[in-house]
Amino acid sequence: MLFWVIAAILTLGASLAVLLPLAGGTKGASAAGDHDLEVYRDQLSELDRDMARGLIQPNEAEEARAEIGRRILRLGAGSQLGKEAPRSSRTARLVATAAVLLVPLVSWGLYGALGSPDLPSQPLTERLAKNPADSSVDELVARAEAHLAANPSDGKGWDVLAPVYLRLQRFPDAITAYRNAIRLDGDSAVRQAGLGEAIANAAGGIVTAEAQGAFDAALKLDPANAKASFYLAMGLAQEGRKTEAAAAWRKMLGQLAPDSPWRSAVQQALADTAEPPVTAGKPAAGPDADQVEAAQQMSPQDRQAMIETMVAGLDDRLKQNPRDEEGWMRLIRSYVVLGKAGQARGALGRAVAAFGADSEQAKKFTAFAASLGVTATE
Amino acid sequence: MVETGHFALVLAFALSLVQMLVPLVGARTGNRRLMAVGGPVAVTGFALTALSFAALATAYAGSDFSVASVWENSHSLQPMIYKITGTWGNHEGSMLLWVLILTFFGALVAVFGSNLPATLKANVLAVQGMIGAAFFLFILATSNPFIRMNPAPIEGRDLNPILQDLGLAVHPPLLYLGYVGFSICFSFSVAALIEGRIDASWARWVRPWTLVAWMFLTGGIAMGSYWAYYELGWGGFWFWDPVENASFMPWLAGTALLHSAIVMEKRSALKIWTLLLAILTFSLSLLGTFLVRSGVLTSVHAFATDPARGVFILCILTLFIGGSLALFALRASTLTAGGLFHPISREGALVLNNLFLTTATATVLVGTLYPLALEALTGGKISVGAPFFDLTFGPLMLPLLAIVPFGPLLAWKRGDIFAASQRLMAALALALAAMLTTGLFIDGASVFAALGVGLAAWLVAGALTDLAVKSGIGSVAPAVMLRRFAGLPRSVFGTALAHLGLGLTLLGIVGTLSFGTEKILTMRPGETVELSGHTLRFEGLYPQKGPNFTEDRGHFLLISDGNADGEITSAKRFYPVRQTVTTESGIRTLGLSQLYLSLGDEGNDGSVVVRLWWKPLVTLIWGGGLVMMVGAALSLLDRRLRVGAPARRRKLAAAASMSST
Repeated sequence: MLFWVIAAILTLGASLAVLLPLAGGTKGASAAGDHDLEVYRDQLSELDRDMARGLIQPNEAEEARAEIGRRILRLGAGSQLGKEAPRSSRTARLVATAAVLLVPLVSWGLYGALGSPDLPSQPLTERLAKNPADSSVDELVARAEAHLAANPSDGKGWDVLAPVYLRLQRFPDAITAYRNAIRLDGDSAVRQAGLGEAIANAAGGIVTAEAQGAFDAALKLDPANAKASFYLAMGLAQEGRKTEAAAAWRKMLGQLAPDSPWRSAVQQALADTAEPPVTAGKPAAGPDADQVEAAQQMSPQDRQAMIETMVAGLDDRLKQNPRDEEGWMRLIRSYVVLGKAGQARGALGRAVAAFGADSEQAKKFTAFAASLGVTATE
Repeated sequence: MVETGHFALVLAFALSLVQMLVPLVGARTGNRRLMAVGGPVAVTGFALTALSFAALATAYAGSDFSVASVWENSHSLQPMIYKITGTWGNHEGSMLLWVLILTFFGALVAVFGSNLPATLKANVLAVQGMIGAAFFLFILATSNPFIRMNPAPIEGRDLNPILQDLGLAVHPPLLYLGYVGFSICFSFSVAALIEGRIDASWARWVRPWTLVAWMFLTGGIAMGSYWAYYELGWGGFWFWDPVENASFMPWLAGTALLHSAIVMEKRSALKIWTLLLAILTFSLSLLGTFLVRSGVLTSVHAFATDPARGVFILCILTLFIGGSLALFALRASTLTAGGLFHPISREGALVLNNLFLTTATATVLVGTLYPLALEALTGGKISVGAPFFDLTFGPLMLPLLAIVPFGPLLAWKRGDIFAASQRLMAALALALAAMLTTGLFIDGASVFAALGVGLAAWLVAGALTDLAVKSGIGSVAPAVMLRRFAGLPRSVFGTALAHLGLGLTLLGIVGTLSFGTEKILTMRPGETVELSGHTLRFEGLYPQKGPNFTEDRGHFLLISDGNADGEITSAKRFYPVRQTVTTESGIRTLGLSQLYLSLGDEGNDGSVVVRLWWKPLVTLIWGGGLVMMVGAALSLLDRRLRVGAPARRRKLAAAASMSST
């Protein structure tokens, strides 16, 4: 409301600036030549002063005076030719009316199209100072951040903020917050598991060696920590060790309380492992359960040979169908397990090339490979 | 508050429409009431624009991220000074600053223009209104700084780290005061063309405006050059970068305009020159805005690029440049010629000066636009850099600089080149001495260096000669001379200082380019390095945390004669929000010279790449610019009316050794 009052006052002021001169009288009309004459007169008296101060010589002053005199004469001749006569005032009245109308019409019309009159100003300090119940999550987080910036050793604060970051998908911040909480308030299974989750999510969902370390630490503190067990099994699945992963998840199902929120996640994961999800671009299948079963009964040489054949097959499939994220990660991991660092590096290079060096996937591959000790360059 | 600012901006646009139409009609029909509308409307328009700008600045200062431009260019952790300067550290805000200055100058004309002929004032304000309306429309249509976001983000995206510097507080406002100041000269010229005549009061008004604009533009360019010098970490002070050229071209044309305006005021000659130069200068300012803002060039100045903006500015450009030049072609012939003059006279010298300066401007224009045109036509990318300008701009400047000292010593109307030369003998001797000393006694001095130092000495000594001659040196008693010196008009000091500043800048450039040394090396803590007689010890690299950045600050100890002589620090800063690294160079000024160092990449073992420069006389480059500004300010303070008193034939004038001003 206040805004509309201000807008109205401003409009009024602007309209008056147009209106008043139009309504005012024509005071002291002078011909254009008068101004010139004034300038020339000033120049003449200036000339006298300069001569008095000794800045110019009398003969120079004489010549200058003559020249100014010539200009004045020319002025007289010119002004007689160009007498202005005021013309019909009908156009003038029309223009004046249009001008007075134009100001409110243009301003209110344009503002109506462009402005957001209902949106109040929102300076940051004001937003952070208002009642927390009215604040958005972002504002609450910002407030907590401001508090922690002032008191960086408040472990409890970090502990509260960390899971919020996780939920807001601000994974790097979550990692920092969990680390600070652990450093300041000590280790706990929940914090370690949360840290692992944050690291894994920051790596695009891949359970990296670092994340594994955190989950292991969590299980050491609390063997029943469901999150840690779940993600560790996920890590097994990502490595292609699906039977082991499935076994771990089944074991979890036996131990979880009937109303545990993890139950459905585990069941979903089990279902996914049994039949690999069909994603766009037909993912390259790794060795299936039967093949692994068979491999376990072979002689070591045979098993090695079979694994290498399968890896080579995977490699070939990826050559034909390179846009398969999971396949590439499996291939890189396979080469690492087989001890073929050069080929793993090659696979990483091709994977990155397949999705483009700037893509999300390329970053994920690089991070994933780095967690296995493979880098794109020496 | 934000919406009040938005509304004020829209209202200012509406007023600019009135300002461009009503006084124009009034002047055409001779209606005094309509003409009188221009003044109050210009003042109110300025007040509204100022309100709008204040609202935006408040939003920036208070980190109001519900304003899109604040969200894009600010961060809550920035120091307050950068929050405020961030207001114009982006495209939208800087355009608002542009129109703020435009309306401010318009309001000044309205308030102080009571001694102008009514029709002239009305026409000037109308042309100002046209420029204003075009830019208000541009802002509202393509770069509105008041676009809101709902819901508002909680944190901004930070100001470009390179712009988080005190330079942003000074450089753009100065530059805009310069650019936009020329709009007044442009408006006066177009108004004169519309009227078809030039009054005596016309020249009285145009000269101070040209001086103001020129003074600020000089300061803006010098400041921008110094900023680039210390912020970019390359130690270069001028890159012939298209964006720099964009500001340099109006300066060259403006310098010519300034000299023409003097002739115009004193002798009512060179009318056509003055009009044309005023139009060209402002056109080049607009072109600069176009080049920088349309995204044609990518640089730190380009902020966000948007083709719609480019097309819009191109339209503004075509309209104003094309329109004014067409008007010039139609009307220039109707203007009566002014006072006559002999080729060898102050006027003649100034015409020569104009020819050189406009040709130089054309050279820079070609060098700047050719790569763009080539890219647009053939897609080929070439870069026109220092070699081109050294070969074209340099040779044009040399003769111009050589004749500068003659100008002020020549009399109006008909001058005496031999008398002027005689008076310059001392300066010439000094210049030759400087040249020989440089060539013979400084190791490794090239011919270029010797010539450059000689030319700089010639300019400085020539400027001083001018003052000495006008005080009557040699012809009157010392006491009289002193009294005369004190009584010299301030504009004489202005001329001398501006020419002196030019010499100082030249000396700085030649000194830095010819005698500067540099070293690039890897240093470990504890190691020392020597450069041109200065020893530096690398103490180590220490991490530090700023409000919105982290940095590794390298500490270096300067050792002079075996004693510690203070510390120089240079840092590599990392701004996490923009994921940008900047270099903070370490500079120690020793006399007029500077020791400059910047950090490169870090090694694993605590070593770091260090780039070191010894830059002799480098501060003179910008110091000269400051001297030029002071000269312009002095000249501006000279409120006298000016008449160029022409000299009689030589026999009569021989006794009078000085020319009047």
